[in-house]
Amino acid sequence: MNELAPSTIAGIGGFLTGLAFGAVAQRTNFCAMGAISDFVLMGDGRRFRAWILAIAVAIMGTQALHFAGVLDVDKSIYLSGTLGWLGAIIGGLMFGFGMTQAGGCAGKTLIRLGGGNLKSLIVTTVLGIVAYTTLRGLIALFRVQLEDATNIDLKARGLQSQNIGELAGMAVGLNSGTARIAVAAIVAFALLLYCFRDRDFRRSPVNIIAGILIGACSVAGWLVTGVLAADDFNPVPLASVTFVSPIAESLQYLMTFTGSTVNFGIGTVGGVVAGSFLVASLTGAFHIESFADRNDLVRHLYGAALMGAGGVLALGCTIGQGITGMSTLSLGSLIAWLSILGGGYLGIKYLEEGSFGDAIRAVFARG
Amino acid sequence: MTPMANVTLDAKGLNCPLPILKAKKALKDVAVGGTLEILATDPGSVADFDGFCRTTGNELAESSQDGDVYRFVIKRLK
Repeated sequence: MNELAPSTIAGIGGFLTGLAFGAVAQRTNFCAMGAISDFVLMGDGRRFRAWILAIAVAIMGTQALHFAGVLDVDKSIYLSGTLGWLGAIIGGLMFGFGMTQAGGCAGKTLIRLGGGNLKSLIVTTVLGIVAYTTLRGLIALFRVQLEDATNIDLKARGLQSQNIGELAGMAVGLNSGTARIAVAAIVAFALLLYCFRDRDFRRSPVNIIAGILIGACSVAGWLVTGVLAADDFNPVPLASVTFVSPIAESLQYLMTFTGSTVNFGIGTVGGVVAGSFLVASLTGAFHIESFADRNDLVRHLYGAALMGAGGVLALGCTIGQGITGMSTLSLGSLIAWLSILGGGYLGIKYLEEGSFGDAIRAVFARG
Repeated sequence: MTPMANVTLDAKGLNCPLPILKAKKALKDVAVGGTLEILATDPGSVADFDGFCRTTGNELAESSQDGDVYRFVIKRLK
């Protein structure tokens, strides 16, 4: 019955997943950078908990699909046998810092674009070009050298993947399958506890709904590439929602359309902008926005460049590593996510203090 | 006529987190009981200022929209 090529199914599925993601995020104000800034600037942890809930939902859904044998999440890039720890740290810090300067992470930029923010058009373009330069262009030379010099080959140490459960199992002498299920359950439970023990979060249905639906989008992405578009002869890469490389690929796809093949990520990028645009139009939130002044433009430009290069180095963004990667319980994703949080915190402090030195001092004075 | 605020912050054209960040700073210069008016164009600022006042214990005396410009008046309570 299936006459569509697997890549086309992945592209359409990606578009629909992105459509839901964009609509939900536009409607609920879900925002990773906003989550950090709410916490740092006003001690409001509700949006941060929405992010944590999204991670918990993504872990539960993804791990359930994995252990039910519906898809093999070990085939994703997040669980490769090579741990790129330094790229995750440097790239995560760059991405986190960059998103605070550019008005939001890569995904949020697409959501803002759908809402009529033309600054986001510039951020998307610069982010995409710099990301592609880091993937395949000039900066790729440095990236490959860095990776060759620091990546750790876990397979040489007798491990199949960088799954935290597997690593924990090896440490305590449990078999890998049992350890992975145990760790998945413990982590998901701990994250849920962190969310729902907070009274403010329990009383914020919009953030609860945002967390559940954004997490579900990540699970849906795995189903699209791992089940719907699965094909023994012509497989598509197992992937789910992430934005940096897909923005780069989308720019290339637009320019070389007649000679290019669509994929899941390209579909999501278009879907997020469309979903956000639809909701913004229907709710009256659509506004054409432009740069406030020269400094505003400068901040957005280097923020976009940092996100483009950092997102490729770290193998993902606040969503790609922070939710999708985390759903696989990958050690590299955890390192990248924590680094993004650190970079974001530093970025907010930089905006607050006005200089890098003062920002660093403020971080440690607080600590 | 809306009563004049003690201090006005023009955050038009700026996006999250800058309007909140600048408002937080500007509020420090407002006497307790005084008001700070903020003008912004970021649609996200509506939810942001609502949350800001809730968590910082100040009063959001006004939240209105005139065309593309949002106007918020915060009364400093502490």
